[in-house]
Amino acid sequence: MYGYVARRLAMTLPTLLLVSVAVFGLVRLIPGDPVQLMFGDLGTLEQMAVARAALGLDEGLPTQFWRWLSSAATGDFGASITNGEAVLPLIWSRFQVSASVVLVAVTIASAIGVAVGTIAAWRQNSGVDLTIVALTTLILSIPTFWLGLMLLLLFGVKLGWLPVIGYVSVAEDPLQAVAFLVLPIATLALHESGVITRMARASAIDVLRLEYIAHARAKGLSEARVLIRHVLPNAFAPTWTLVGLIMGNLLGGIAVTETVFSLPGLGRLMVDAVFGRDYPVVQGCLLFTAFLYVIVNLMIDLLYPLFDPRVGAE
Amino acid sequence: MEAFPEKGISMSRFLKALVLSAGVLFLSDAASAQGALRVMLNADIRGTDPGVNTDLNTSTVALHVMEGLVAYREDGSVGPMLAEKVDLSADGLTYTFTLRDGVAFHNGAKLDSAIVTAAWKRYMDPATQWRCVNEFDGRGVSKIVEIAAPDPRTVVFRIEKASAMFLGQMARLECGSSAIYHMDSVGADGKWASPIGTGPYKLGDWRRGQYIELERFAGYASRGGARDGLTGGKMAYADKVRFVIIPDGAAAKAALFSGSLDIRPDLSAADFDETRQRSDVKIESGPTLELNGVLFQTTDPLLSDVRIRRAISLTIDREALVETLANGLVKSVSSPIPLSSPYSGKVQQEPLAFNIAEAKKLLAEAGYKGQPIKMLTTKRYNALYNGAVFIQSMAKAAGINIEIEVLEWATLLDQYLKGTYQSMFFSYAARLDAALSFQMLTGPKASQPNKVWDNPEAVALINQALVASDPKIRQALFDDLHKRFIADLPMIPLWNTPDIAAFRSNVIGYKSWPAAMPRIWGVKLN
Repeated sequence: MYGYVARRLAMTLPTLLLVSVAVFGLVRLIPGDPVQLMFGDLGTLEQMAVARAALGLDEGLPTQFWRWLSSAATGDFGASITNGEAVLPLIWSRFQVSASVVLVAVTIASAIGVAVGTIAAWRQNSGVDLTIVALTTLILSIPTFWLGLMLLLLFGVKLGWLPVIGYVSVAEDPLQAVAFLVLPIATLALHESGVITRMARASAIDVLRLEYIAHARAKGLSEARVLIRHVLPNAFAPTWTLVGLIMGNLLGGIAVTETVFSLPGLGRLMVDAVFGRDYPVVQGCLLFTAFLYVIVNLMIDLLYPLFDPRVGAE
Repeated sequence: MEAFPEKGISMSRFLKALVLSAGVLFLSDAASAQGALRVMLNADIRGTDPGVNTDLNTSTVALHVMEGLVAYREDGSVGPMLAEKVDLSADGLTYTFTLRDGVAFHNGAKLDSAIVTAAWKRYMDPATQWRCVNEFDGRGVSKIVEIAAPDPRTVVFRIEKASAMFLGQMARLECGSSAIYHMDSVGADGKWASPIGTGPYKLGDWRRGQYIELERFAGYASRGGARDGLTGGKMAYADKVRFVIIPDGAAAKAALFSGSLDIRPDLSAADFDETRQRSDVKIESGPTLELNGVLFQTTDPLLSDVRIRRAISLTIDREALVETLANGLVKSVSSPIPLSSPYSGKVQQEPLAFNIAEAKKLLAEAGYKGQPIKMLTTKRYNALYNGAVFIQSMAKAAGINIEIEVLEWATLLDQYLKGTYQSMFFSYAARLDAALSFQMLTGPKASQPNKVWDNPEAVALINQALVASDPKIRQALFDDLHKRFIADLPMIPLWNTPDIAAFRSNVIGYKSWPAAMPRIWGVKLN
């Protein structure tokens, strides 16, 4: 087990190295640079040259890459070109915002999705099933930014029940944090519950067709017991993989949701950094996201045997 | 609805209670923020060191915290701010600033000439990376040879050559208004720490990515008189000003309509009509100094022919275009000099013709046969994209084939700076002097590829305008420049962006002005 974890973690190193090379190269292939954006049409070419030299952007790309990589290896990801903040603490502080939204939203979405998906499978082709399928299709076809804006307009503007903008961290004031996080969490949870419901339904339908389910029913077990004891555990494993993928994907940034609700999260940081050509922040964010993705999926793999004993961790 | 029978509470009641409890939490937050005037910024500020790492948002916050010796007035002229008066020697080489009495910094220290010279010494140190250092070290319009402090209330700047732009450069917003800060703003390690200025507000809490909160400076010494650009009387009515970062326009609209935001300084044209119809929101607008128009690459084989450039201009129904794109809030312009400039006279305001028949005639003379003309634009600013679409449509009436290519803003800026375009719909930031309005366009393309007008005679005229201080002489120079510009037509000026601000009806005293930056002094909540 420990050896497996160590091997998986060691495997992340070449992945991260490849990611860093790709990110470094690709970011610099985009036309424009941070100095141009800093000066706009107001600076002279001479002023820009001085600013580029001060930022080390006048050096050759291999030199810049090596300097960044050797610093990153020691945990120093540099400082933001935009505002001078150290990249790693900046990413960490923004990640906490994204994580607080994503973890709660995915938990809620999983609870709703697995329960509703299983019920839909249990009542396959009935009115209940068709309604659930129609609703999930509708939810999946609604873009998250539109859903977020509609919730914002309804609960923030029309009803005035919830704040429209702003953020308070859970550590600072848990009660106020809830008020600010309700809508972004609801937006994400609604959308992701659609995905999870579809997956849970498909998995549960497969399991419900197996012989041991027929056997369980023949033994006279109640439908509730059949579902909870026999269907759910066996149908949950594939859904769990999907939850891991969703989690990894969302933790890397929920830029659209964060932009709509003015949340200072990782996704918004990354998007702002790309638009601002803030190279150190873009590189740091993408590297962090890649690392996160690997870790989340490793954790999912390690937890898999809990839901499906047929699968070993290794 | 499904019910919870054991509790006797319906699902709808439960949900309502949940949401209401969250609402109560929010209301308690709103109550705690009472007294704070909430103003939108579309992005975080870059820093607080004046003129070092700056942009429009950064300058907006900084101008509430720090002040310079001089500042721009409402009409674009330069007036004293921390200086009581400025005297210029007869040879134009010595500026004597008499400092105002009783001005205090946020740390309680009194303004004196030693602090001014210390701040300027830091500005002129290349290690500070002040972006305007080249404007004062001889590479730009002037060279400071000495800054002296003969007594605590007097600072003397001696420059090498006379320049009409010296004070104007000092007041420039992108130079951080050359703000005078106390040296305690700089840490023991020589690095910038936090701004200790003389402004009506002092920096309170800066939550990165969320908001910047300013607190009223009780010891502020107002100049008195009316608000006048960035100078004049400044009354800080609000105890706190919170610049809230809202990157999304739709979210900003929702925040304003719900009362979570008091002032939205840059209302988009798309939201204008909807906002205007609301009774709980007011709108304030005025022309700015930003210039929108079509740039031509005059070295392009096709567009090097001035007849084709002129033909495109002749196809533009400018009044209709500006009425639509600027919500009828501003008039079209024919010159790089903004309409609000004192140098925008009869010559500059002579409208450019709209004549399709004449355009077709010119095209025929030039041998144009429908070759595609690529026009770059961006969707970052709606007006730029919509403007390009309008031009494309109007030019089609004369058989001109314009193809639009939409780029992300940074890419468009890169193409502009490198001059790698055929034509481009572009917007120039505000220049607060007419000479600078021409200078931004004019220069040798070989060494400055971002310039659109490569005309050595025009460069010479601009250099004269930069030095001349007599308004009559300057007006004559600008008239001459305008005529040459229209003859060459390297750019079609179209309109100066209107500054449209929307604010809650209980906000009193908010006024837009040509520099298009929100000023919160003189503003209060009813």
